[in-house]
Amino acid sequence: MDYSEATERISRKFKKSGNEIDREKVEGKLRRLIEEFGVQPAEAERSVSNELTKEFNIQPAGPQGSPGAGGATGEKVIADARPGDWVTLVGKVVSLAAPASPAIAQSGILADESGAIRFVVWTKSNAPKMKEGTWYRIESAVVDEYKNIPNLKVHSGTTITEIDKTDPLIPAPSPVKELRPGIGSVRAKVIQEWDATHDRMLQSGLLGDETGTVKFVIWKEQGKEKLAVGSVYSIFYAQVDEFNERLSLNITSATIMQEDGDIATATGGDVVVRGAIVHIAPGSGIIKRCPVEGCNRALSRQNYCPIHEIQPKFVYDLRIKGWLDDGEKTHNLLLKRDVVEALTGINLDQAKEIAENNPLGMDEVFLQMREKVLGRYVACKGREIENRLLVNTCERMHFESGEHAKLLNRAGGVP
Amino acid sequence: MSSTAPDMGRRDGSFEREPARRVFASELRECRYQFKVGEDEKSPTFVLLPTGERSNRIFVSGTLTEKTRQGEQNIFYRGRVIDPTGTFFIMAGSYQPEAMQQLAKIETPAFVAVTGKPNLYQKPDGSFLVSVRVEAITVVDKETRDLWVLDTAAHTLDRLDALATGTSPDIVKAKEQYPTLDPAVYRKIVYDALAQIKM
Repeated sequence: MDYSEATERISRKFKKSGNEIDREKVEGKLRRLIEEFGVQPAEAERSVSNELTKEFNIQPAGPQGSPGAGGATGEKVIADARPGDWVTLVGKVVSLAAPASPAIAQSGILADESGAIRFVVWTKSNAPKMKEGTWYRIESAVVDEYKNIPNLKVHSGTTITEIDKTDPLIPAPSPVKELRPGIGSVRAKVIQEWDATHDRMLQSGLLGDETGTVKFVIWKEQGKEKLAVGSVYSIFYAQVDEFNERLSLNITSATIMQEDGDIATATGGDVVVRGAIVHIAPGSGIIKRCPVEGCNRALSRQNYCPIHEIQPKFVYDLRIKGWLDDGEKTHNLLLKRDVVEALTGINLDQAKEIAENNPLGMDEVFLQMREKVLGRYVACKGREIENRLLVNTCERMHFESGEHAKLLNRAGGVP
Repeated sequence: MSSTAPDMGRRDGSFEREPARRVFASELRECRYQFKVGEDEKSPTFVLLPTGERSNRIFVSGTLTEKTRQGEQNIFYRGRVIDPTGTFFIMAGSYQPEAMQQLAKIETPAFVAVTGKPNLYQKPDGSFLVSVRVEAITVVDKETRDLWVLDTAAHTLDRLDALATGTSPDIVKAKEQYPTLDPAVYRKIVYDALAQIKM
């Protein structure tokens, strides 16, 4: 299909206000909406055009006439709602979440063409129940902030009216790098799945596109399914949380569509760190893992899993946790079984043998491995995530006479 | 294992472990200035290296030539680790039980790798001593020792280069605290250290 005509129309429209569009980008967006998301061409054109309007910061010439009147409860588009505002919004309920407390009647996400916002309906407000997928006019609600994220509060003074509108809303996914706390949509690939750290957690891991990576989490709720590692998804209206200046995507109540095909992801590139291993942490060596499917947590000495309690039928594994120091910075290391085996020369069977027959048991494996690794110069290659280097290969460094000669010259040369 | 060193206490996300600096014995011996960052009892202490960098921790490799057990109630071990330029004085006491046991087990002489914290003391006669409180010590091979000499040479040269033109607070402070410092002397130390490694 040819998108140049639609692009030309959009270009002319923006020229009037003195803006130059990036044709290639616009065509690409149109193509994606139409070919990948099955959006009607006219709707796609409108959607792209709206996005540009926002980008160029032009006041939309809507039928409502004078926008930005800015009255106390002025009608606003969602993107303009700021904490502290009393607002009237027209939007579509794109998702509903299980209320976290009896004081809350409903919570979810309200969206319009400009953006999306979380909302909370207090039980005390006696508001009518809203339905997912329906448009509403919400008059005199308050925007506040909850955990740094704007939040729309429906209270007893708020009027909610259902409106007859069936416009489909297609949010434009943003690059992962451009996510901001609030509500966001992305098209990204599941790069990694991590051990669940909480009983109520269904899945957590890492999502990425070509611009970056972000942690994601899905909490256990009825009908929620895990994402498949290696698959690409369009995720609409996910909650973007910020913790310790790191973003995380809560996609429990997001609209998730699996997609065909593959996308490039910013691997962050494999990093190589050379230095000395200056500390081997407790919990290294041979460990026991919970055998429950999908759990895989490390068990305590008494074979106790924090979730599944006593597990006598544990599975043995090897790992090394420690610090690699290059003299300028210290990197937290995590070596998996195959890396540990290659570096220490002790394989899982040998480690098991030691653990079961030596009077010191598992401690003996720890000690033997520490003897072989601590204080050694290594080059570790892997991915750095959340300040931890997940190591794919770790090799002992060797003396290079070329390096030696270079340093001698440097030290002997006149500065 | 119950060897959770106090510095392992991680405050969510904000924690960054102090790197272990690479420094030759003859430079460490010249430290005369020690300072603390923060008021807390547990705030880190740094010695200021003459070449212009603070150091809360060092990593050294050399030959453990002797170790002695001292103390009656509070047993602790002292040791001497030799590098191509001089001697590191190391110690491990009952506050570092793991390190002390490791040190106690090692038969001298042996190539060792040591991670530890440098501390500056003034002896009753007015002279200074920099001693290294061991966090970890292991027996290593000669290649590791040689790699350490290269590594330490490179880092020392980097510091000397920075000292010539840099304006970091540590460099400014070093020039103030060590006014007689001659970079050429340290360059010579590096050269001699490298020259001692046989090809």
